[in-house]
Amino acid sequence: MLSIVKRILGQIKNDKRSLGLLLFAPLLVLTLLFFILGDSNYQPQIATYDMNEKFVTELENHATVIEESEMPEAADYLETNGIDALIWKDTDGTHIELLEKNSKSVAALKAIQDTNKALQPAQNELIIDYVYETSDDNQLDSLSFVFLGVISFFFVFILSGMSFVRERFGQTLERMLMTPISRMDVIGGYTLGYGLLAALQSVVIILYAVYVLQLHVEGSVALCTLVMILMAFSAVSVGALVSIFANNELQMVQFIPVIIIPQIFFSGLIPIDTIPFGLGNLCYLTPIYYGCTALEMIMIQGKGFLEIWPWLVGSIVFIGVLFLANVTALKKYRRL
Amino acid sequence: MKIEILEVDKSFKKQKVLEQISLIIDSGRIFCLLGASGSGKTTLLRIMMGSIPTDGGSVTIGSTPVPNRELLSNMGYMPQNEALYEELTTWENLKFFAGLHQMSRKAFEENAEKLLQIVDMTKCKNKLVRDCSGGMKKRVSLAVALIHQPRLLLLDEPTVGVDPVLRRKIWQYLKQLRNEGTTILVTTHVMDEVTQCDDAALLRNGRIIAKDTVEKLIGRTPNGNIEELFFMDNQSETEGSSC
Repeated sequence: MLSIVKRILGQIKNDKRSLGLLLFAPLLVLTLLFFILGDSNYQPQIATYDMNEKFVTELENHATVIEESEMPEAADYLETNGIDALIWKDTDGTHIELLEKNSKSVAALKAIQDTNKALQPAQNELIIDYVYETSDDNQLDSLSFVFLGVISFFFVFILSGMSFVRERFGQTLERMLMTPISRMDVIGGYTLGYGLLAALQSVVIILYAVYVLQLHVEGSVALCTLVMILMAFSAVSVGALVSIFANNELQMVQFIPVIIIPQIFFSGLIPIDTIPFGLGNLCYLTPIYYGCTALEMIMIQGKGFLEIWPWLVGSIVFIGVLFLANVTALKKYRRL
Repeated sequence: MKIEILEVDKSFKKQKVLEQISLIIDSGRIFCLLGASGSGKTTLLRIMMGSIPTDGGSVTIGSTPVPNRELLSNMGYMPQNEALYEELTTWENLKFFAGLHQMSRKAFEENAEKLLQIVDMTKCKNKLVRDCSGGMKKRVSLAVALIHQPRLLLLDEPTVGVDPVLRRKIWQYLKQLRNEGTTILVTTHVMDEVTQCDDAALLRNGRIIAKDTVEKLIGRTPNGNIEELFFMDNQSETEGSSC
């Protein structure tokens, strides 16, 4: 088993580009996400009609304000002038018309909220409460657990799946099994070898996210790392298992969307209890669910080991089941 | 180690690949399995190693029935394609397979140096396999098959793509191993190779059509060309090759 671990590390040592891709590609993607989802300091454009002077003056501190003297036709007006929001008042109260839901309208709403807050208690106040998040968090912060989980899972899955396909295809697997090594040692060595690389990747990603990108982690960073490492090990096993169904590298690539995309659905991006027909229960079959849920609890809710252990156990059970499945699948190459 | 193959059948998806194969390969001989590509040579090798099950019949090596994991530590297998790790050097490849056989470091280093000399790869031992030529890979692959000093060698087309000078050197080494008691089974479709062997069996369309010592087989042909044996039985026209 140890010789397989050594061999895998030796292989990657001689293949610097793969190692670079494993360690730096996730950082690159994360950084990009950070900038895309981060605060852009966008100045929303808001049109007002018949609002009092005090409100407009305050609003000008938060947005570009265009005062209209006539009530415009809302939908048409917003679309043609590139205005983010129209705000007016009538007997019912204050109306806000937005074109569609996107980050610009969020910015516009925020500007209006801020104005309302500043004018306390003048206008009808909007109260928005978050249980765990402050509204100052940017989107990467609140979804960080999804991206950390999915990105590290994705890269490790490709690495282990591909190398296993190549090993089947190049018949080195057959040759390896023509020695007295047991099937359990083969899978064990494989999982451990790539697992070590994956663990290294997890540590690099989490340290980078927390200390360079300044991602907010409510709970313990060490616990996050542990969850990430467990998730990486399950990614290695999933990769090895999927490679059984792929006859060549192309087919392995074709499996990527089949395996990865459904897992993203269950990673916490969509609240699981809103998924209809009980399909949400499928989450128990996806290793990312266990990892991402645990990460969410640590990073967003600041939970500790005592609260997240069921998800850690879930991850470990998953790794165990996959391990046995892989050992059994090797029977195709040697009966003993 | 003596190999006894008894009435082995094997088919893949209804197509019969091997039919009622019975062979006895004596200990300490070089045995040649001769046949066109697709005649079932590699399948027979795989069955002998226990990597695929038979549909019927049995294989016994020494006195142990196949499959048996301990048996594999006495066997050296060289597959048709190189089956080496491209990202590792020649030396690292040898070391990995020696590790799987749980060889001691000292035994490995001694044997590896000796083998690299025989296959003429000593100078390139720290070269990545990725950067080696086809012939070089073949030689490394042979060295890997021999690294744990097996008593039974299964070589699937070992000298294809190896130049004549080196081929002679390799055959010399194989004969030396035979004299030390190693049983060697070689498959080939190159007729010249047969003359280097002690015994031969001719495989066609999954059946053994002739089997004897090489000398006697050559004696049966009109012009000393062993290839003639494939044309001497009248089946050849009627059957054609299967695919």
